[in-house]
Amino acid sequence: MTTTASTLTDRYVAEALRGLPARQRADIEAELRTSIADAVEDRLEAGADAATAERDVLAELGAPRRLAAKYSDRPEYLIGPDLYLDFVRVLTVLLSTVVPIWFLFSGVVIFVAGSSALDTLGAAVVGAIETAISIAVLTTLVFAIIERTGRSKRSAWDPASLPEVLDKRGYFAELIGGVTFALLIAGTLVALQTVGTVEGTDGARVGPIATALWGSGVFYIALFYAAVSISLHVFAYYTGWSVSNAVATVALGVLFVVPAVWLTASGQLLNPDYFEAIGWPAGLGIVTGIVVAVIVLLSAMDSIDGIVRATRKRRTR
Amino acid sequence: MLNDDELATHRQELRRGTVVLACLLMLGTPNYGYALLTALDAAGFAVDANTLYPLLRRLEKQGLVTSEWNTDEARPRKFYRTSAEGAALAATLTTEWNELGAAFRTLTENS
Repeated sequence: MTTTASTLTDRYVAEALRGLPARQRADIEAELRTSIADAVEDRLEAGADAATAERDVLAELGAPRRLAAKYSDRPEYLIGPDLYLDFVRVLTVLLSTVVPIWFLFSGVVIFVAGSSALDTLGAAVVGAIETAISIAVLTTLVFAIIERTGRSKRSAWDPASLPEVLDKRGYFAELIGGVTFALLIAGTLVALQTVGTVEGTDGARVGPIATALWGSGVFYIALFYAAVSISLHVFAYYTGWSVSNAVATVALGVLFVVPAVWLTASGQLLNPDYFEAIGWPAGLGIVTGIVVAVIVLLSAMDSIDGIVRATRKRRTR
Repeated sequence: MLNDDELATHRQELRRGTVVLACLLMLGTPNYGYALLTALDAAGFAVDANTLYPLLRRLEKQGLVTSEWNTDEARPRKFYRTSAEGAALAATLTTEWNELGAAFRTLTENS
Protein backbone atom coordinates (compact mmCIF):
# COMPACT_ATOMS: atom_id res chain seq x y z
CA MET A 1 0.00 0.00 0.00
CA THR A 2 1.32 3.44 -0.85
CA THR A 3 1.11 6.22 1.70
CA THR A 4 0.53 9.66 0.29
CA ALA A 5 -0.27 13.05 1.71
CA SER A 6 -3.76 13.03 0.16
CA THR A 7 -6.72 12.49 2.47
CA LEU A 8 -9.34 9.79 2.01
CA THR A 9 -11.68 12.48 0.69
CA ASP A 10 -9.13 13.54 -1.94
CA ARG A 11 -8.77 9.98 -3.06
CA TYR A 12 -12.53 9.44 -3.09
CA VAL A 13 -13.25 12.59 -5.10
CA ALA A 14 -10.47 11.84 -7.58
CA GLU A 15 -11.80 8.32 -8.13
CA ALA A 16 -15.39 9.52 -8.57
CA LEU A 17 -14.43 12.30 -11.00
CA ARG A 18 -12.35 10.01 -13.16
CA GLY A 19 -15.48 8.43 -14.58
CA LEU A 20 -17.14 11.76 -15.42
CA PRO A 21 -17.07 14.00 -18.50
CA ALA A 22 -14.44 16.75 -18.14
CA ARG A 23 -16.90 19.64 -18.41
CA GLN A 24 -18.87 18.44 -15.38
CA ARG A 25 -15.89 17.76 -13.14
CA ALA A 26 -15.16 21.15 -11.58
CA ASP A 27 -18.76 21.79 -10.62
CA ILE A 28 -19.40 18.31 -9.23
CA GLU A 29 -16.07 18.33 -7.37
CA ALA A 30 -16.88 21.60 -5.59
CA GLU A 31 -20.34 20.41 -4.59
CA LEU A 32 -19.16 16.92 -3.58
CA ARG A 33 -16.33 18.28 -1.40
CA THR A 34 -18.70 20.68 0.36
CA SER A 35 -21.29 17.94 0.89
CA ILE A 36 -18.65 15.61 2.36
CA ALA A 37 -17.25 18.39 4.58
CA ASP A 38 -20.78 19.25 5.78
CA ALA A 39 -21.51 15.62 6.64
CA VAL A 40 -18.17 15.17 8.42
CA GLU A 41 -18.74 18.37 10.41
CA ASP A 42 -22.13 17.06 11.50
CA ARG A 43 -20.56 13.89 12.85
CA LEU A 44 -17.76 15.78 14.60
CA GLU A 45 -20.36 17.89 16.39
CA ALA A 46 -22.07 14.69 17.43
CA GLY A 47 -18.79 13.61 19.08
CA ALA A 48 -17.09 11.35 16.53
CA ASP A 49 -13.33 11.59 15.95
CA ALA A 50 -12.12 13.04 12.66
CA ALA A 51 -10.81 9.86 11.04
CA THR A 52 -13.91 7.80 11.85
CA ALA A 53 -16.25 10.58 10.75
CA GLU A 54 -14.54 10.89 7.35
CA ARG A 55 -14.46 7.15 6.79
CA ASP A 56 -18.13 6.73 7.74
CA VAL A 57 -19.28 9.55 5.50
CA LEU A 58 -17.42 8.12 2.50
CA ALA A 59 -18.62 4.60 3.25
CA GLU A 60 -22.18 5.90 3.26
CA LEU A 61 -21.64 7.58 -0.12
CA GLY A 62 -20.68 4.19 -1.47
CA ALA A 63 -18.25 3.11 -4.18
CA PRO A 64 -17.06 6.24 -6.07
CA ARG A 65 -17.49 4.56 -9.46
CA ARG A 66 -21.15 3.86 -8.70
CA LEU A 67 -21.65 7.46 -7.67
CA ALA A 68 -19.99 8.59 -10.91
CA ALA A 69 -22.31 6.31 -12.89
CA LYS A 70 -25.34 7.91 -11.21
CA TYR A 71 -24.03 11.36 -12.06
CA SER A 72 -23.25 10.58 -15.65
CA ASP A 73 -26.55 8.78 -16.26
CA ARG A 74 -24.72 6.27 -18.40
CA PRO A 75 -25.78 2.63 -18.36
CA GLU A 76 -23.76 0.38 -16.07
CA TYR A 77 -24.16 -2.57 -18.37
CA LEU A 78 -22.84 -3.49 -21.79
CA ILE A 79 -26.13 -4.47 -23.43
CA GLY A 80 -29.40 -3.59 -21.76
CA PRO A 81 -32.75 -5.37 -21.64
CA ASP A 82 -34.04 -3.44 -24.70
CA LEU A 83 -31.37 -4.93 -26.93
CA TYR A 84 -30.50 -8.16 -25.17
CA LEU A 85 -32.95 -10.40 -27.05
CA ASP A 86 -31.96 -8.94 -30.43
CA PHE A 87 -28.34 -9.41 -29.47
CA VAL A 88 -28.83 -13.07 -28.64
CA ARG A 89 -30.81 -13.65 -31.83
CA VAL A 90 -28.28 -11.98 -34.13
CA LEU A 91 -25.40 -13.74 -32.41
CA THR A 92 -27.09 -17.13 -32.69
CA VAL A 93 -27.94 -16.69 -36.36
CA LEU A 94 -24.45 -15.46 -37.24
CA LEU A 95 -22.71 -18.22 -35.32
CA SER A 96 -24.97 -20.94 -36.72
CA THR A 97 -24.51 -19.85 -40.33
CA VAL A 98 -21.16 -18.12 -40.82
CA VAL A 99 -19.11 -20.54 -38.71
CA PRO A 100 -20.15 -23.76 -40.52
CA ILE A 101 -19.82 -22.10 -43.92
CA TRP A 102 -16.37 -20.83 -43.00
CA PHE A 103 -15.48 -24.27 -41.65
CA LEU A 104 -16.48 -25.91 -44.92
CA PHE A 105 -15.00 -23.27 -47.19
CA SER A 106 -11.62 -23.05 -45.46
CA GLY A 107 -11.56 -26.85 -45.21
CA VAL A 108 -12.03 -27.24 -48.96
CA VAL A 109 -9.48 -24.54 -49.77
CA ILE A 110 -6.84 -25.96 -47.42
CA PHE A 111 -7.45 -29.50 -48.65
CA VAL A 112 -7.32 -28.56 -52.31
CA ALA A 113 -4.06 -26.71 -51.58
CA GLY A 114 -2.61 -30.11 -50.69
CA SER A 115 -2.85 -30.68 -46.94
CA SER A 116 -3.59 -34.10 -45.49
CA ALA A 117 -7.13 -34.83 -44.26
CA LEU A 118 -6.10 -34.62 -40.60
CA ASP A 119 -4.20 -31.34 -41.04
CA THR A 120 -7.15 -29.93 -42.95
CA LEU A 121 -9.57 -30.90 -40.20
CA GLY A 122 -7.33 -29.33 -37.55
CA ALA A 123 -6.85 -26.10 -39.50
CA ALA A 124 -10.56 -25.86 -40.31
CA VAL A 125 -11.52 -26.39 -36.66
CA VAL A 126 -9.07 -23.71 -35.51
CA GLY A 127 -10.35 -21.39 -38.25
CA ALA A 128 -13.95 -22.01 -37.22
CA ILE A 129 -13.16 -21.25 -33.56
CA GLU A 130 -11.37 -18.04 -34.55
CA THR A 131 -14.31 -17.05 -36.72
CA ALA A 132 -16.74 -17.73 -33.87
CA ILE A 133 -14.69 -15.59 -31.48
CA SER A 134 -14.42 -12.74 -34.01
CA ILE A 135 -18.17 -12.83 -34.62
CA ALA A 136 -18.94 -12.83 -30.90
CA VAL A 137 -16.59 -9.93 -30.19
CA LEU A 138 -17.75 -7.82 -33.14
CA THR A 139 -21.46 -8.42 -32.51
CA THR A 140 -21.04 -7.52 -28.84
CA LEU A 141 -19.10 -4.39 -29.78
CA VAL A 142 -21.73 -3.27 -32.29
CA PHE A 143 -24.57 -3.80 -29.80
CA ALA A 144 -22.66 -2.03 -27.02
CA ILE A 145 -22.23 0.97 -29.34
CA ILE A 146 -25.94 0.90 -30.29
CA GLU A 147 -26.76 0.73 -26.58
CA ARG A 148 -24.77 3.93 -25.96
CA THR A 149 -25.64 5.94 -29.05
CA GLY A 150 -28.77 4.65 -30.74
CA ARG A 151 -31.43 5.88 -28.36
CA SER A 152 -33.90 5.99 -31.22
CA LYS A 153 -37.43 4.92 -30.49
CA ARG A 154 -38.10 1.34 -31.34
CA SER A 155 -41.27 0.74 -33.28
CA ALA A 156 -44.17 -0.53 -31.22
CA TRP A 157 -44.51 -4.28 -31.07
CA ASP A 158 -47.28 -5.73 -33.21
CA PRO A 159 -48.84 -9.10 -32.31
CA ALA A 160 -49.07 -9.83 -36.06
CA SER A 161 -45.27 -10.17 -36.09
CA LEU A 162 -45.51 -13.37 -34.03
CA PRO A 163 -44.02 -16.32 -35.92
CA GLU A 164 -46.21 -19.25 -36.88
CA VAL A 165 -46.15 -22.20 -34.54
CA LEU A 166 -44.30 -24.91 -36.42
CA ASP A 167 -44.55 -28.60 -35.79
CA LYS A 168 -41.05 -29.17 -34.53
CA ARG A 169 -41.67 -32.86 -33.99
CA GLY A 170 -42.37 -33.41 -37.70
CA TYR A 171 -39.24 -31.56 -38.64
CA PHE A 172 -37.16 -33.48 -36.13
CA ALA A 173 -38.33 -36.74 -37.67
CA GLU A 174 -37.33 -35.38 -41.11
CA LEU A 175 -33.94 -34.39 -39.77
CA ILE A 176 -33.30 -37.83 -38.28
CA GLY A 177 -34.54 -39.40 -41.52
CA GLY A 178 -32.23 -37.24 -43.63
CA VAL A 179 -29.21 -38.02 -41.50
CA THR A 180 -29.98 -41.77 -41.54
CA PHE A 181 -30.39 -41.70 -45.32
CA ALA A 182 -27.06 -39.92 -45.79
CA LEU A 183 -25.30 -42.39 -43.48
CA LEU A 184 -26.89 -45.31 -45.35
CA ILE A 185 -25.62 -44.08 -48.74
CA ALA A 186 -22.16 -43.37 -47.35
CA GLY A 187 -22.05 -46.78 -45.65
CA THR A 188 -23.11 -48.63 -48.81
CA LEU A 189 -20.54 -46.75 -50.84
CA VAL A 190 -17.72 -47.54 -48.42
CA ALA A 191 -18.79 -51.20 -48.22
CA LEU A 192 -18.92 -51.58 -52.02
CA GLN A 193 -15.56 -49.91 -52.42
CA THR A 194 -13.75 -51.89 -49.71
CA VAL A 195 -15.23 -55.36 -49.18
CA GLY A 196 -17.55 -55.53 -52.19
CA THR A 197 -14.86 -55.16 -54.84
CA VAL A 198 -14.72 -57.39 -57.90
CA GLU A 199 -11.84 -58.48 -60.10
CA GLY A 200 -11.27 -55.88 -62.82
CA THR A 201 -10.03 -56.36 -66.37
CA ASP A 202 -6.36 -56.04 -65.36
CA GLY A 203 -6.78 -58.45 -62.46
CA ALA A 204 -6.83 -55.78 -59.70
CA ARG A 205 -9.79 -55.50 -57.32
CA VAL A 206 -12.01 -52.61 -58.30
CA GLY A 207 -15.02 -50.91 -56.72
CA PRO A 208 -17.72 -48.75 -58.33
CA ILE A 209 -15.83 -45.53 -57.52
CA ALA A 210 -12.92 -44.55 -59.74
CA THR A 211 -9.73 -45.69 -58.00
CA ALA A 212 -7.92 -42.38 -58.62
CA LEU A 213 -10.74 -40.37 -57.08
CA TRP A 214 -11.14 -42.70 -54.11
CA GLY A 215 -7.40 -42.49 -53.43
CA SER A 216 -7.39 -38.69 -53.73
CA GLY A 217 -9.33 -38.36 -50.50
CA VAL A 218 -11.96 -36.14 -52.10
CA PHE A 219 -14.49 -38.02 -50.00
CA TYR A 220 -13.13 -36.42 -46.89
CA ILE A 221 -14.42 -33.19 -48.40
CA ALA A 222 -17.83 -34.80 -48.86
CA LEU A 223 -17.63 -35.85 -45.22
CA PHE A 224 -16.81 -32.24 -44.30
CA TYR A 225 -19.83 -31.14 -46.26
CA ALA A 226 -22.12 -33.65 -44.59
CA ALA A 227 -20.95 -32.68 -41.10
CA VAL A 228 -21.45 -28.97 -41.82
CA SER A 229 -24.81 -29.49 -43.49
CA ILE A 230 -26.12 -31.59 -40.61
CA SER A 231 -24.95 -29.14 -37.94
CA LEU A 232 -26.52 -26.29 -39.89
CA HIS A 233 -29.85 -28.10 -39.92
CA VAL A 234 -29.63 -28.92 -36.23
CA PHE A 235 -28.85 -25.27 -35.39
CA ALA A 236 -31.71 -24.08 -37.56
CA TYR A 237 -33.97 -26.56 -35.82
CA TYR A 238 -33.18 -25.13 -32.40
CA THR A 239 -33.02 -21.44 -33.32
CA GLY A 240 -35.87 -21.40 -35.81
CA TRP A 241 -35.45 -21.01 -39.56
CA SER A 242 -34.43 -17.55 -40.65
CA VAL A 243 -33.46 -16.01 -43.97
CA SER A 244 -29.79 -16.44 -43.07
CA ASN A 245 -30.33 -20.15 -42.46
CA ALA A 246 -32.02 -20.47 -45.86
CA VAL A 247 -29.26 -18.52 -47.61
CA ALA A 248 -26.63 -20.69 -45.91
CA THR A 249 -28.46 -23.85 -46.98
CA VAL A 250 -28.64 -22.70 -50.60
CA ALA A 251 -24.98 -21.63 -50.54
CA LEU A 252 -23.94 -24.98 -49.11
CA GLY A 253 -26.06 -26.74 -51.74
CA VAL A 254 -24.40 -24.89 -54.61
CA LEU A 255 -20.98 -25.50 -53.07
CA PHE A 256 -21.71 -29.22 -53.13
CA VAL A 257 -23.73 -29.68 -56.31
CA VAL A 258 -21.39 -27.92 -58.73
CA PRO A 259 -18.23 -29.99 -58.04
CA ALA A 260 -20.22 -33.21 -57.44
CA VAL A 261 -22.11 -32.99 -60.73
CA TRP A 262 -18.95 -32.00 -62.57
CA LEU A 263 -17.02 -35.00 -61.17
CA THR A 264 -19.82 -37.43 -61.99
CA ALA A 265 -20.73 -36.10 -65.44
CA SER A 266 -17.11 -35.86 -66.59
CA GLY A 267 -16.65 -39.55 -65.75
CA GLN A 268 -14.29 -39.09 -62.85
CA LEU A 269 -16.58 -40.52 -60.18
CA LEU A 270 -17.47 -43.98 -61.42
CA ASN A 271 -15.11 -46.72 -62.46
CA PRO A 272 -15.87 -48.11 -65.98
CA ASP A 273 -13.79 -51.21 -65.14
CA TYR A 274 -16.22 -52.08 -62.37
CA PHE A 275 -19.22 -52.06 -64.67
CA GLU A 276 -17.31 -54.14 -67.24
CA ALA A 277 -16.41 -56.64 -64.51
CA ILE A 278 -19.98 -57.09 -63.27
CA GLY A 279 -21.10 -57.60 -66.86
CA TRP A 280 -23.18 -54.45 -67.17
CA PRO A 281 -21.18 -51.99 -69.33
CA ALA A 282 -24.28 -49.93 -70.10
CA GLY A 283 -24.68 -49.46 -66.35
CA LEU A 284 -21.95 -46.80 -66.37
CA GLY A 285 -24.10 -44.33 -68.29
CA ILE A 286 -27.30 -45.21 -66.46
CA VAL A 287 -25.79 -44.97 -62.96
CA THR A 288 -24.04 -41.72 -63.90
CA GLY A 289 -27.39 -40.26 -64.90
CA ILE A 290 -29.08 -41.50 -61.73
CA VAL A 291 -26.30 -40.13 -59.47
CA VAL A 292 -26.43 -36.69 -61.14
CA ALA A 293 -30.21 -36.61 -60.86
CA VAL A 294 -30.18 -37.65 -57.21
CA ILE A 295 -27.49 -35.09 -56.29
CA VAL A 296 -29.34 -32.25 -58.02
CA LEU A 297 -32.74 -33.32 -56.74
CA LEU A 298 -31.72 -33.79 -53.10
CA SER A 299 -29.83 -30.50 -52.97
CA ALA A 300 -32.65 -28.62 -54.68
CA MET A 301 -35.19 -30.11 -52.27
CA ASP A 302 -33.02 -29.15 -49.33
CA SER A 303 -32.62 -25.57 -50.59
CA ILE A 304 -36.31 -25.15 -51.41
CA ASP A 305 -37.21 -26.63 -48.04
CA GLY A 306 -34.97 -24.11 -46.28
CA ILE A 307 -36.46 -21.19 -48.22
CA VAL A 308 -40.01 -22.38 -47.55
CA ARG A 309 -39.33 -22.71 -43.83
CA ALA A 310 -37.84 -19.23 -43.69
CA THR A 311 -40.65 -17.58 -45.67
CA ARG A 312 -43.41 -19.47 -43.87
CA LYS A 313 -42.28 -17.75 -40.70
CA ARG A 314 -41.93 -14.37 -42.37
CA ARG A 315 -45.21 -14.34 -44.22
CA THR A 316 -47.13 -13.14 -41.18
CA ARG A 317 -44.86 -10.15 -40.61
CA MET B 1 -41.68 -15.28 4.29
CA LEU B 2 -39.87 -12.39 2.69
CA ASN B 3 -36.27 -11.99 3.70
CA ASP B 4 -34.87 -8.59 4.66
CA ASP B 5 -33.40 -7.94 1.23
CA GLU B 6 -36.66 -8.64 -0.57
CA LEU B 7 -38.57 -6.48 1.89
CA ALA B 8 -36.07 -3.65 1.41
CA THR B 9 -36.45 -3.94 -2.38
CA HIS B 10 -40.25 -3.72 -2.19
CA ARG B 11 -40.09 -0.69 0.09
CA GLN B 12 -37.57 0.95 -2.19
CA GLU B 13 -39.74 0.31 -5.24
CA LEU B 14 -42.71 1.90 -3.53
CA ARG B 15 -40.72 4.94 -2.37
CA ARG B 16 -39.04 5.53 -5.70
CA GLY B 17 -40.41 8.71 -7.15
CA THR B 18 -41.56 10.10 -3.84
CA VAL B 19 -38.09 11.62 -3.33
CA VAL B 20 -38.50 13.69 -6.52
CA LEU B 21 -41.82 15.06 -5.32
CA ALA B 22 -40.47 15.74 -1.82
CA CYS B 23 -37.47 17.58 -3.29
CA LEU B 24 -39.61 19.73 -5.57
CA LEU B 25 -41.90 20.65 -2.67
CA MET B 26 -39.04 21.38 -0.26
CA LEU B 27 -37.01 23.41 -2.72
CA GLY B 28 -39.68 26.08 -2.87
CA THR B 29 -37.19 27.54 -0.41
CA PRO B 30 -33.64 27.43 -1.84
CA ASN B 31 -31.39 24.90 -0.15
CA TYR B 32 -28.07 23.09 -0.69
CA GLY B 33 -27.23 19.37 -0.92
CA TYR B 34 -26.39 18.27 2.60
CA ALA B 35 -28.97 20.53 4.29
CA LEU B 36 -31.67 19.20 1.96
CA LEU B 37 -30.57 15.64 2.76
CA THR B 38 -30.99 16.16 6.52
CA ALA B 39 -34.23 18.09 6.02
CA LEU B 40 -35.68 15.27 3.92
CA ASP B 41 -34.56 12.77 6.54
CA ALA B 42 -36.16 14.79 9.34
CA ALA B 43 -39.39 15.05 7.32
CA GLY B 44 -39.56 11.26 7.01
CA PHE B 45 -38.12 10.82 3.51
CA ALA B 46 -35.10 8.59 4.00
CA VAL B 47 -32.83 8.99 0.99
CA ASP B 48 -29.18 8.12 0.37
CA ALA B 49 -26.72 10.92 -0.30
CA ASN B 50 -25.48 9.09 -3.39
CA THR B 51 -29.03 9.12 -4.75
CA LEU B 52 -29.95 12.68 -3.83
CA TYR B 53 -26.90 14.53 -5.21
CA PRO B 54 -27.08 13.03 -8.71
CA LEU B 55 -30.88 13.44 -8.61
CA LEU B 56 -30.55 17.19 -8.03
CA ARG B 57 -28.32 17.43 -11.10
CA ARG B 58 -30.86 15.51 -13.16
CA LEU B 59 -33.71 17.75 -12.03
CA GLU B 60 -31.59 20.78 -12.90
CA LYS B 61 -30.84 19.37 -16.35
CA GLN B 62 -34.59 18.89 -16.92
CA GLY B 63 -35.23 22.50 -15.88
CA LEU B 64 -37.28 21.48 -12.84
CA VAL B 65 -34.90 23.21 -10.42
CA THR B 66 -32.45 26.07 -10.91
CA SER B 67 -29.16 26.44 -9.09
CA GLU B 68 -26.89 29.19 -7.88
CA TRP B 69 -23.50 29.06 -6.21
CA ASN B 70 -23.30 30.93 -2.91
CA THR B 71 -19.70 31.84 -2.06
CA ASP B 72 -20.44 34.11 0.90
CA GLU B 73 -19.52 31.44 3.43
CA ALA B 74 -16.27 29.54 4.00
CA ARG B 75 -17.51 26.65 1.84
CA PRO B 76 -19.00 27.46 -1.54
CA ARG B 77 -22.48 25.94 -1.67
CA LYS B 78 -24.72 25.19 -4.59
CA PHE B 79 -28.28 26.25 -3.78
CA TYR B 80 -31.17 24.68 -5.64
CA ARG B 81 -34.63 26.14 -6.05
CA THR B 82 -37.74 24.71 -7.71
CA SER B 83 -38.52 26.41 -11.04
CA ALA B 84 -42.01 27.30 -12.27
CA GLU B 85 -41.95 24.13 -14.34
CA GLY B 86 -40.87 22.14 -11.30
CA ALA B 87 -43.69 23.62 -9.22
CA ALA B 88 -46.21 22.65 -11.92
CA LEU B 89 -44.88 19.08 -11.93
CA ALA B 90 -45.03 19.01 -8.13
CA ALA B 91 -48.71 20.03 -8.28
CA THR B 92 -49.48 17.27 -10.80
CA LEU B 93 -47.60 14.66 -8.79
CA THR B 94 -49.29 15.74 -5.55
CA THR B 95 -52.72 15.27 -7.14
CA GLU B 96 -51.60 11.86 -8.39
CA TRP B 97 -50.34 10.92 -4.93
CA ASN B 98 -53.62 11.95 -3.29
CA GLU B 99 -55.64 9.99 -5.83
CA LEU B 100 -53.52 6.93 -5.20
CA GLY B 101 -53.93 7.40 -1.45
CA ALA B 102 -57.70 7.61 -1.85
CA ALA B 103 -57.70 4.53 -4.07
CA PHE B 104 -55.72 2.56 -1.50
CA ARG B 105 -58.06 3.67 1.30
CA THR B 106 -61.06 2.49 -0.71
CA LEU B 107 -59.31 -0.79 -1.34
CA THR B 108 -58.52 -1.44 2.32
CA GLU B 109 -61.96 -0.31 3.51
CA ASN B 110 -63.72 -2.66 1.11
CA SER B 111 -61.59 -5.68 1.84
